[in-house]
Amino acid sequence: MPLGLQFENLHQFFVQSSESWAQRFVQDHAPVLTHLPAPLGELVIMLACCVIFVAVVPLLPLGLVLAERKVSAHIQDRVGPMRVGPHGILQTLADGVKLIFKEDHIPREGDKFLFVASPYIIFACSFAVFAAIPFDKSILVSELNIGIFYIMAISSVIVMGVIMAGWASNSKWSLLGAMRSAAQIVSYEIPLGLCILTVVMLVQSLNMQDIVTGQDGIANWLIFRTPFTFVAFFVFFISAIAEVNRTPFDLPEAESELVAGFHTEYSGMRFALFFIAEYANMFAVSAIAATLFLGGWHGIVPAEMLPQAGILGFVLKTITLGGLLGVAIKTLLLVFVMMWLRWTLPRLRVDQLMNLCWKYFIPISFFNILGVGIWGLIFPKDSMLSIIISIAVIILGLIFTFGVLGRSLSKGAEPPPSSAERRISATT
Amino acid sequence: MRHYFSNIYLGLYTALVGMRITFKQFLRPSVTHQYPYDRSFEQKKNIREIPKGYRGKLHNRIEDCIGCKKCELICPVDCITITTQKLPKGERLWDSMNVVHLKNRTEIVGNIEGDEKPASNTTVAIQTRDEGTVTVSSEEIANIVERKPVIFYLDQFDIDMSLCMYCGLCTEVCPTECLIMYDNLSDGIEYSTFDRTDLIYEFAKPEMYDQPADESTEAEAAD
Repeated sequence: MPLGLQFENLHQFFVQSSESWAQRFVQDHAPVLTHLPAPLGELVIMLACCVIFVAVVPLLPLGLVLAERKVSAHIQDRVGPMRVGPHGILQTLADGVKLIFKEDHIPREGDKFLFVASPYIIFACSFAVFAAIPFDKSILVSELNIGIFYIMAISSVIVMGVIMAGWASNSKWSLLGAMRSAAQIVSYEIPLGLCILTVVMLVQSLNMQDIVTGQDGIANWLIFRTPFTFVAFFVFFISAIAEVNRTPFDLPEAESELVAGFHTEYSGMRFALFFIAEYANMFAVSAIAATLFLGGWHGIVPAEMLPQAGILGFVLKTITLGGLLGVAIKTLLLVFVMMWLRWTLPRLRVDQLMNLCWKYFIPISFFNILGVGIWGLIFPKDSMLSIIISIAVIILGLIFTFGVLGRSLSKGAEPPPSSAERRISATT
Repeated sequence: MRHYFSNIYLGLYTALVGMRITFKQFLRPSVTHQYPYDRSFEQKKNIREIPKGYRGKLHNRIEDCIGCKKCELICPVDCITITTQKLPKGERLWDSMNVVHLKNRTEIVGNIEGDEKPASNTTVAIQTRDEGTVTVSSEEIANIVERKPVIFYLDQFDIDMSLCMYCGLCTEVCPTECLIMYDNLSDGIEYSTFDRTDLIYEFAKPEMYDQPADESTEAEAAD
């Protein structure tokens, strides 16, 4: 009995099971399942959630890979894949089929178990993130009380898979890529966590659904709630790009230096798993950014000002970036910005990467936390006055920075390090 | 301290400038030509014509080939295979046609009516195979390839274009200039196939010996 009691407490701590979307769904549509003994019924619900998400989420990378190729092509005045299907929309599918039929090669001198296990770890972790992201008021696999903390924790496990892959491949490229990846992800997790902390300080909850609930209407979006969260959004987004190893922070996979980084030795389906996980990750961090800062499933217009019922309500909700499709649009916009950045900026050096994180992002994040704390002391929670002041400060700040301050700031830039300095920083 | 904020500002500002440029490029129409499917670009003026004398796919006007095997002999990579049967001594099938090179670097293939070496300041009538009679002034003519008697049956005249190295020696030695290299886009260049055996071109037409040749050559053969 004590054990059971403990389990109950733990369960209540982690999961608000009465609020679970899946359980409500089952109660509405398949009440038979509620008569099953409690653990069994819960298992069935869990399995149903798993099946739905494992079936839907891999379709995202399928589209995103094509989108990436098309975006990159058009930025470079090309047209991208055009042959497989109209405008090449089935290209990723064809590539996937090709990868499935490829030889599954394991390096002879490598560590076979780790080599085989690491794609699954990365794949599973990047998919587990989706369990805690709310896509609508009721579309959420598991409403965790510690949702954002869970996301941070589970996405940190990915780095373990990366290091396993790099070590097990027994290849210098893989190992170097994995080491860089570990250094990068561990470093950038700190500003990422600190930016999330500013949000958590404002909302006073780790629950993802609670974070979204307060953001009804564009003025209530957390990005505009204080000037500090406005800065935190950008720090969060750039750190997130570094977290998912995308250009300009793609040192772990630098093609010109490391062939492909930690997945150099992988082929066939295992490589496809890495690839899917990478794009799923990209989508996940964008979805988290949209949820934390851009209102989640709340639109630009507050919900009570829109008709709720019928198709008209749904269309209006989507147009104002609310609801399931609204989240998807916001997320895909952020994903597009990631792709856009990829084809704009060149890759950073290792020392520049670490400089950016430790000298810029972390101090700025700490300043943000301080600022949000003081803001919370001055203004009462969610007061209209604070939002007006905040938006005014943001606009004035932008004008001041890019209009007035910029002219003087653009002259005082630090000169690029000399080659001798660069050599020193590379060796240390 | 000033450096610190300058770096932040410049980092943001330069990234935004770069993003503006790439976004403009994103909205610009792409410059790719979907070549074999969309050939509209060929009408544009900036696409150069293939120059005269370009060495493209080999072609043999088999009726004019006299079976001399000079091309087979000179081919450095042995891509031409010819088998012939000689006619009895003194007999011939017909004569090959004249090739009249004009001074404007075009050529007319046909039989010159009358003297093969026209005097100056006369008009020359050339009986072509497809376009009827063409008359040109003898001033325009650069040189004329003379007619030669066809005294071989050509059983086989195969050219393996997968072996050809495009040296053009065979076209230079051809006495009747019936072996040519196409220098236009559609015939001379675009003949890639999925099967290498499709690149072996068989020019011999045994059926052209079955029916009697047209009257003029018949009459000449009777002479």
